[in-house]
Amino acid sequence: MRFGEAESLATPMWEERGTSVRAIAGHLASLWDVPAELDDGGDPLVTEKGLPHARASVLNLIVTVVDEAAADRVVHTLVGLGVRHPSRAIVLVPQQGAGTAPMDARISTHCNEVSGGGDRVCYEEVVLTVRGEAAEHLSGIVAPLLIHDLPTHIWWPGDPPWGDPVFDQLVEMGDRVIVDSADFSDLLSGLRRTSNLRRRSGVGDLSWERLAWWQELTAQFFDAPRFRRYLPNLSRLAIRYAVPPRASRRHDEEEEVAPGVPAPMAQALLYAGWIATRLGWRRHRTLEPLADGGFRLRLEGRHEMIDLLIEPTTTDEVRPGELLSVRLRSLGETGAAEFIVDRDRDDAVVATNADGMTALLRLLSMASPREPELLSSQLTMDVADPVYEDALRAAAILLASSREAAA
Amino acid sequence: MTTRVEDEHATSMRDRGQRPTHDDRQPRPNPLREGLRLERMAEPCTMVICGATGDLTERKLAPALYNCLLGGFLPPEFTVVGFARRDLDDQAFRDHLLQGINKFSRNRPAKPAIWESFARGIEYHRGDFDDPVAYVELERRLDRIDRDRGTAGNRLFYLAVPPALYPEIVNQLDRAGLAAPGDRRRSGSKRGWTRVIVEKPFGSDLESARTLNRELAEVFDEQQVYRIDHYLGKETVQNLAVFRFGNGLFEPIWNRRYIDSVQITVAETVGVEGRGEFYDATGALRDIVQGHALQLMAMFAMDPPVEFHADDLRDEKLKVLRGVKPMSPADVATNTVRGQYVSGWVEGDKVASYRDAPEITPDSQTETFVALKLGIDSWRWAGVPFYLRSGKALPSRVTEISVRFKQAPLALFARAGVPQIEPNVLAIRVQPDEGILLRFGAKVPGQGLQIRNVNMDFRYGSSFAVDSPDAYETLLLDAMVGDASLFTRDDEVERAWEILDPILDAWQAGQGGPLHFYGAGTWGPPAADELLERDGRAWRRP
Repeated sequence: MRFGEAESLATPMWEERGTSVRAIAGHLASLWDVPAELDDGGDPLVTEKGLPHARASVLNLIVTVVDEAAADRVVHTLVGLGVRHPSRAIVLVPQQGAGTAPMDARISTHCNEVSGGGDRVCYEEVVLTVRGEAAEHLSGIVAPLLIHDLPTHIWWPGDPPWGDPVFDQLVEMGDRVIVDSADFSDLLSGLRRTSNLRRRSGVGDLSWERLAWWQELTAQFFDAPRFRRYLPNLSRLAIRYAVPPRASRRHDEEEEVAPGVPAPMAQALLYAGWIATRLGWRRHRTLEPLADGGFRLRLEGRHEMIDLLIEPTTTDEVRPGELLSVRLRSLGETGAAEFIVDRDRDDAVVATNADGMTALLRLLSMASPREPELLSSQLTMDVADPVYEDALRAAAILLASSREAAA
Repeated sequence: MTTRVEDEHATSMRDRGQRPTHDDRQPRPNPLREGLRLERMAEPCTMVICGATGDLTERKLAPALYNCLLGGFLPPEFTVVGFARRDLDDQAFRDHLLQGINKFSRNRPAKPAIWESFARGIEYHRGDFDDPVAYVELERRLDRIDRDRGTAGNRLFYLAVPPALYPEIVNQLDRAGLAAPGDRRRSGSKRGWTRVIVEKPFGSDLESARTLNRELAEVFDEQQVYRIDHYLGKETVQNLAVFRFGNGLFEPIWNRRYIDSVQITVAETVGVEGRGEFYDATGALRDIVQGHALQLMAMFAMDPPVEFHADDLRDEKLKVLRGVKPMSPADVATNTVRGQYVSGWVEGDKVASYRDAPEITPDSQTETFVALKLGIDSWRWAGVPFYLRSGKALPSRVTEISVRFKQAPLALFARAGVPQIEPNVLAIRVQPDEGILLRFGAKVPGQGLQIRNVNMDFRYGSSFAVDSPDAYETLLLDAMVGDASLFTRDDEVERAWEILDPILDAWQAGQGGPLHFYGAGTWGPPAADELLERDGRAWRRP
């Protein structure tokens, strides 16, 4: 998809090479002007419905990408997003080295009809290619282009350049920062650095968002009080996650077809970190590293020692990194109990086997959420998520433990 | 040496969430639920639908349950028992529900594998509602489900039957020991709750409403009774509350000092559409004003509740209704207008006269339009008229509340040849396009001083393009969670009838003014306009 090819365009795309921040801001200010209509006497006609579409803005979104191809992908995601979050999105494409002109800009407004009622949700998209020295001062370029008094979210697709002053400046101007830990080239370092980011409205992680349905299904096992008593006595947690077959992993560079996932273990670690921190588990010792980076750890629970198993499974049926199964085993007063979520493509079998009663078996839908849906959920949050922050720190500890064992 | 996977912060959070309790019967909250999007989860329960083979189950309940399932809102143990007279087996009943989902669900058709899995928890119980044996067998069935599926003795009875059958069913439930919560049950599971959902109409006048409430109260505690009125969708009610109490701007001016008058319009374009017999015995006042319009007025006018909890909310709404003084026959003649539509055109279609519609008596006196002027005798609202109107075959389908503010105290621009500026209007549109409109005066750009009114128009649809759940989904889950905020309490129902009964009586006795006629596709009879013109006001054209 090229820029400006959304379902419908309220205004034609404005494009200028070698432009300035002032020119861009001027164009943004006049985006929604309608040509003045004159009455019979030649005077401006004043109407009560001056705007072609109701415009409501809820946030600013700043996205920094590495190149034009990545910008294309982001714009594609934003088209789906605009429906839920009317916003001004600024996509930055910094390019190192001096170019012919310091800055090119493309501005378009996208409007989507919603609910068939004639309502249109519109958002503005600004794509800035910034070259040379200006590329080192992105925050100064972006600041005048933001809509006042609205929260500003920074979405950093790909591996964030931790410690880079440009990254730090942009993070500094955002209320909330959204990353995807599956994109971290060095997962351990990325998890640690993410947990050190401190923003007013918190940090978001698309990998964490992908776990939402898994967390919900896991929590549901223990909503019933009679099963909740199994929680303190959990003795085993086994998590399997998807890694691509070796043949297809060689094609990681074909990002547009199958975006590579540098850190497929991120989701499994966050899930384990979530359970561990909610239940107050402590690390005890590493039992053994497993093939392909998987591992077995011994954890100390309130009443039981727990075997934690994180294991990669080769498959190309789901996106690399996504969970394939979670199995929790517990020893209760009336015997062993098992709580299982097994994913099979777009469905999941959810089973409870406890109390010697008939196994509760359900089949539920488990389609992988698309990137716009993940981002959209993250954008609705405007406060820090302490449960995520706990899980993130725990994930880093678990991963560090597995590395120690491997070493 | 062990390393904590959690850290100090996590520990303190966990400890807050799991405060030790000395009461072992109260289970600790589920620690895994903390921070999840779904903070409230429906408890494991069995939902017994009485009248399960009817239209409501097919059109509303089955699609709502399936959508809840897809959303992950139903607990694994959730079980449905259909209870009706028709001779069906489990499979035939499941097919009946599936047909409803495939016809009416917004997520249709049902995914076969998911449905099959869900359908394993659906059973059919054949029986006559007046047969005690059917209830004894129902009790055994529910006990067995509790054991087999872990529904923990929690039971939700949905009375999807005409109100005339309520007394029989609730009495039979009582006799079979099915009405009591677990701790008062004579046999079977000694744990869990029992709740009953009843559909509107809640009576047809004060007497019948009291009788119905009494019959329910003889068997159930009021906390067990959930009176469902799907018109009060959660989004609307919560939006109104958030708009008023979530914004610092509006509450200070929400009173007689700043507000001149309030209009509430509930307009429908449709006629009686196959409900002729019911509607002819009911009319607009009972059908719409008793529940919906008075509830909207109460939500609009209530004082802030101490907390956003069911009984706090309902206490405040009741205070508003208690402030509305019932009318004398003379008041009815002055402050009410009733109308009935004659043939006309609505949205480009020719509409026959009400009296020519099927099942309507040829000399019917039933009102299809009503306009009322009410007042609330309270510190906040004394002297502010509330104009309510509702009708069928009106030009557009709209529900809205519009607030007219008092005029600016001084005609400051009169000397410049500008007449008094119109008062500001704030319109809260409930449906179809939820939104808020503020109308104010602005200077027309250019030389000289010319002032025109402009609309600042906000639409929820332009800001949040998220599908709102169907009202039944929200309300069923609320009943499973035990949140009665959106259900009407017995005293609210009775107070509404205390307000409306004198009007119905006066009309019946011929003392309340004549029945006016209006053309379909108009905004009601001219008398409705005169009701406001007398006060120097006019209806807003929504």
